[in-house]
Amino acid sequence: MQSSPGPEAPTRGNWGPLVTRKSVMRSGLAALLVAPFAASSLAAGRGQEPGDADTESSDRAEGRGATDEEIVLGVSAAFSGPSRGLGTELYRGAMAYFNNVNENGGIEGRRVSLKLYDDGYQPDPCVQNTMRLMLEDEVFLLFGYVGTPTVTRVLPILKKFQDEKIFLFFPFTGAQPQREPPYGDFAFNLRASYNQETAGLVDNLVQIGRRRIAVFYQIDAYGRSGWAGVRAALDKHGERLAGEATYSRGEKFTGSMRKQVEILQGVSPDAVICIGAYAACAAFARDAVDLGLDVPIANLSFVGSENLLKLLTEGQDDAERYTRQLINSQVVPSYEDTSIPAVQEYRDLMARYDPQVPADLVQEEYAPFPHSFGSLEGFLNAKLMGEILRRLGPNPGRAGLEEAVFSIEDFDLGISERVSFGPDRRQGLQSVYHTVVEDGRFVPLDDWGARFG
Amino acid sequence: MRIRRLFKWTRFGIFAVFGLIVLSTSILCIYTVDTELSAEYEVNTQNIAKTIADSSAGILLNQNLATLQSLVDQFLEVQGIRYIYITSETGEFLAHTFVPGIPEEILESEHSNTAPVERSLPGMGDFIEVGSPILAGVAGTVHVGMDLDVVALKIQRAIGQQVYLISVMLVLGVLASIWFVNLAAKPLGELLAYAVELAKDGEKDELGERELLTRDDEVGHLARLFLHVSRQGAGRGLPTSVSGTE
Repeated sequence: MQSSPGPEAPTRGNWGPLVTRKSVMRSGLAALLVAPFAASSLAAGRGQEPGDADTESSDRAEGRGATDEEIVLGVSAAFSGPSRGLGTELYRGAMAYFNNVNENGGIEGRRVSLKLYDDGYQPDPCVQNTMRLMLEDEVFLLFGYVGTPTVTRVLPILKKFQDEKIFLFFPFTGAQPQREPPYGDFAFNLRASYNQETAGLVDNLVQIGRRRIAVFYQIDAYGRSGWAGVRAALDKHGERLAGEATYSRGEKFTGSMRKQVEILQGVSPDAVICIGAYAACAAFARDAVDLGLDVPIANLSFVGSENLLKLLTEGQDDAERYTRQLINSQVVPSYEDTSIPAVQEYRDLMARYDPQVPADLVQEEYAPFPHSFGSLEGFLNAKLMGEILRRLGPNPGRAGLEEAVFSIEDFDLGISERVSFGPDRRQGLQSVYHTVVEDGRFVPLDDWGARFG
Repeated sequence: MRIRRLFKWTRFGIFAVFGLIVLSTSILCIYTVDTELSAEYEVNTQNIAKTIADSSAGILLNQNLATLQSLVDQFLEVQGIRYIYITSETGEFLAHTFVPGIPEEILESEHSNTAPVERSLPGMGDFIEVGSPILAGVAGTVHVGMDLDVVALKIQRAIGQQVYLISVMLVLGVLASIWFVNLAAKPLGELLAYAVELAKDGEKDELGERELLTRDDEVGHLARLFLHVSRQGAGRGLPTSVSGTE
């Protein structure tokens, strides 16, 4: 499966124009400023009368991004920068599924294409990409976005263009803004929330007597979302955050986190929960071990477990020293468990297609993993997306999307948990899994007391 | 012959007057720009704090802290704003922008205070911090820190540009003044040289044919007068052109 060509920049091949960060930064604010006018001009250009607003909106919502040949899904994700592994893995998993769908005749005869843009996990490029996807590319829907700081900035745009009936499906973030008013109606989530992940970690840590919990977090909407989750979970146990330290988004593994470790050492925590991306969290875990902060260090699913592990173990003589205190929360089951039908299907299709990020989007070298939690999540996202598109029938239109999603009830995605959606239920899965590192790979954590008690 | 002494004090006076003008203008300019820009930055910072406070109320009531942080992060892109933090009515930090952690001085400060305060934060620099209450303070307080170094740099740049312009005008003014003085001094020098020649060889005929004698100004009158006095002293009649000096 290939994405649609980019008419603006044909030299960039079949994957559309690659938006450079500089140009995007320059025009990011401009995009926000023109957004209201763009919406007005859309209406004006069609000679819309005020009284015809609803009818016209519905008409516009129909047929966009879906032709007789293909359905185009718009993606803005991190394919460059320190978090490029997240966007890459999610994309690979999704494409493994869509490639198979297209090879088998597509959905109602239509190929499923992804229109990709790189945002480098930065909000302004993501806003710009979204405007382009909606106004220029006229994609059918938005799919597989990566990150909280990016998604939280896109949500107001979706609200602004709500008449266009364009929804964001299955972003790679567990933050609350796309799950709650005023923006919850414009997104559908598959994965469990950060609140559920942090509650799972806090409950288990408190249960084994580790009540003094500190937080190391990325100082942005993602970090704050996780911070708030830990705070709320501790509150239920009558505890408060023992301490906190922060880092700036985009930090690399080569950077030092010693100051952060020293701040947290000052509050003598029983455990640290990290809410960050793999490069910074790996740097923190490394410096924590080096400086003698010998407590469990937990990470959320967004961290990118395999990349974290790779950074901590690659070239290390005593890698186990850096990984034995790690606990990683996951929102999909283990990709090693082939007894799960969806996992077996995922592994088969990954082996068959081994999707790669288009060369035009690759700015820095990245060696993808054969299997990862990220790509499995992307696969499950695509599988559910495919089911929703099928339920739209032979004449897919944006106006029917919500109804199609709400028709998903007790749907068997191929994992143990069944998926349901409804007007008050816009998150498909609720399960959280906990893993630790054994023999250089992540395995399920069954006994918290035995490991960390 | 050059005239040096006659305009010595004139030149000094020009320098002194121009220097005084430049000095006083610069001092006034520095004071005005510093005062005005400092006040403007403080007002802008207060406005930003108020804008965040107004925008935060609904978000805070919904306990949507990720959105609150996103809002704060956007204002951090404003030039000169170095930190923002929002505390609840109980003093809990609900959103902030500090890396690697919240400085001790801020942790220990009175969070409900909204009056401007100057802070010196180790490793970060000097700041002016202003606050704005959220829902009259019952929902918390927004604090915004403006980097004084950035403000100072802006002020220095503005002052530097003005002083540069004034200095250029000083140099041009002085050069122009010297040129005008020299313009006036040149015929006087010629007159002096002519007078010396008359004193030495007043009877020479060619001294009565100099171009200086044809000038229709005070120097011409004086030249003709000198020639007249010189010739009268020698018992010779007055040339007809000297009559104009009577």
